[in-house]
Amino acid sequence: MARLRLKNVNKRWGSFVGVDNFDLDIADQEFLVLLGPSGCGKSTTMRMIAGLEDVTEGEILFDDTVVNDMDPKDRDISMVFQSYGLYPNLSVYENIRFPLRVRKIPKEKHDEMVMEAVRMTELEDYIHRRPAELSGGQRQRVALGRAIVRRPNIFLMDEPLSNLDAKLRVSTRAQIKNLQSKLKITTVYVTHDQIEAMTLADRVVVMNAGKIQQVGTPTDIYDNPANVFVASFIGSPAMNLVQGTLENGVFEAEGIRVEGLPLAVSGNVTLGFRAEDAEIVEGPAQISSPVYSIELLGEASMITWRLAGSLVSIKTHKEYRADIGAVVNAAVPASICHLFDTASGERIAHG
Amino acid sequence: MSNPAETKPLPIKVITISVVLIWLFLAAFPFLWTMWGSFKVEGDFFSRANWFNAITGPVTERQHGSPFTLAGYEGAWIEQEFWKAVINTAIVTVFVVIISLTLGTLGGYALARSGFKYTFWLLMAALVFRAMPHVTLVSGYLLPFFQLNIWGYLPTTIIVLVAINQPFTLWMLHSFFLSIPKDLDEAAMVDGCTRFQAFRLAIIPVMWPGVITTGLFSFLLAYNDFTVTSMLLSQENQTMIPQINAFLGSTQEEGKVMYAVAAVVSAIIPLFVLILFFQRQIVSGLTAGAVKG
Repeated sequence: MARLRLKNVNKRWGSFVGVDNFDLDIADQEFLVLLGPSGCGKSTTMRMIAGLEDVTEGEILFDDTVVNDMDPKDRDISMVFQSYGLYPNLSVYENIRFPLRVRKIPKEKHDEMVMEAVRMTELEDYIHRRPAELSGGQRQRVALGRAIVRRPNIFLMDEPLSNLDAKLRVSTRAQIKNLQSKLKITTVYVTHDQIEAMTLADRVVVMNAGKIQQVGTPTDIYDNPANVFVASFIGSPAMNLVQGTLENGVFEAEGIRVEGLPLAVSGNVTLGFRAEDAEIVEGPAQISSPVYSIELLGEASMITWRLAGSLVSIKTHKEYRADIGAVVNAAVPASICHLFDTASGERIAHG
Repeated sequence: MSNPAETKPLPIKVITISVVLIWLFLAAFPFLWTMWGSFKVEGDFFSRANWFNAITGPVTERQHGSPFTLAGYEGAWIEQEFWKAVINTAIVTVFVVIISLTLGTLGGYALARSGFKYTFWLLMAALVFRAMPHVTLVSGYLLPFFQLNIWGYLPTTIIVLVAINQPFTLWMLHSFFLSIPKDLDEAAMVDGCTRFQAFRLAIIPVMWPGVITTGLFSFLLAYNDFTVTSMLLSQENQTMIPQINAFLGSTQEEGKVMYAVAAVVSAIIPLFVLILFFQRQIVSGLTAGAVKG
């Protein structure tokens, strides 16, 4: 059980900045997800926690111990890799037992501990197989089993689901969530998939270009994105963003006009709203523009306009039909709108 | 599922089979001819009257009362003490292989994992030294070795052969290590290994085909070497290949050439045994690694 603190951690390679001033407290037993596009520094941050990468500047603390100069083996962590990192010459049983063997845990305890991990990862039928004889999902479960067998202080998971197919991803995701809540071990989980982040996390850290963009609960970052990047990264579809001008509480751009926004702000702003918050209406409304495309999603239809150069989509009931090019109106009340400063991308106010 | 070879039209089948047979004949004939001839006397094997005598062996029959004789082997092994050369070769090859593999696995692993730019230049330099004719290196060694009074001994030769061989083992093992994902080392280190334990417990077990293949090539270099061993070893420390060459050079005396023929056949046998024994690892090593041959 451990609390994990990163104090102004930096990682630089020459002049290239991998992670910029990462500062975060992770509570004991918390499930923290690092989310961001590839190359944003999330994996590097995790590798620094693991000790696989040196920290250029700053401190990493487990409880009250600075671990910057500790070898990975001394940090009492375990890690699940994207490509599993299983030992191909060992059976499933021996793979899971490996950490116990190299850490010189008394031999008579091994079998009990390994079998417990095997049960938790539901690998009972495969313990004598080699990794090459397993499917991707089973391999990832072996990697999970190897990670939990020792009950470490901290779990690190580096995109553990991205090599699995969509169906397996959902079931393995549920299994990871379940295991973590049973074992109550502080977990740091890296992913580029925002759905994984939303479903698993207690708290999400959204990163981009080496910097933390926002830290918060999944609901928090979904409802109150701190800037344009988070708004466009979280949600499926992502938040609609339209660049325009705000004057006297009225936002205007080509094909859209929203009234009743805060009077205090003016100038170039970006207006954001979620596809599921707006609705199609007859008669005059905030959006009134020819339809760019209509897509059927199964449970809903998605109508897309092209407003001031950006595509804006709204979800509506699945029977809705409209011709491409026909003018369709949609209500975007000020209450569902988010405002961002166009120049800096930062959030201004919630309308 | 039908075997694709069975579905091919007849003329193609005939052509492919005959090409294989011709190749097999060309490759195996010199060896089979030598092996058969090693049980004959010089008068038959190098017969001027009729080349067919090498097969039937009339002179051998006249001299020894049978178309086969072990005279060549007796002369080489007992009279000329070829066994000494065999022991010397064994010492040289065993040490060259052990030292090359030890340095090669450690160095190749370090180069494969270091990620620094100089690795590339180190490997390029290694390639240049590997490409040089051996004799250029040996001629430079001769004078210092005489002055240091270490010329003619087996350890000196072993060191020189290792030096010549090392670039190649480094290259080959480097590419084998590159084919092993970094995740494996890192998983081992997170699981509780030191860097060296990760190398020993997680990487080397996966590396066996590569190590064996590289080991075999090192073995062949040391075993087949002529330039270095003939120039750096004194008469009494001679290894097999220079010894065979010495037998071949002594044509004045009747029958001595047959010592060479018998010695050649003796020298080939261990190679066959070795390749038969390790063939599975060698094949998987050759196909798995980036370096082919």
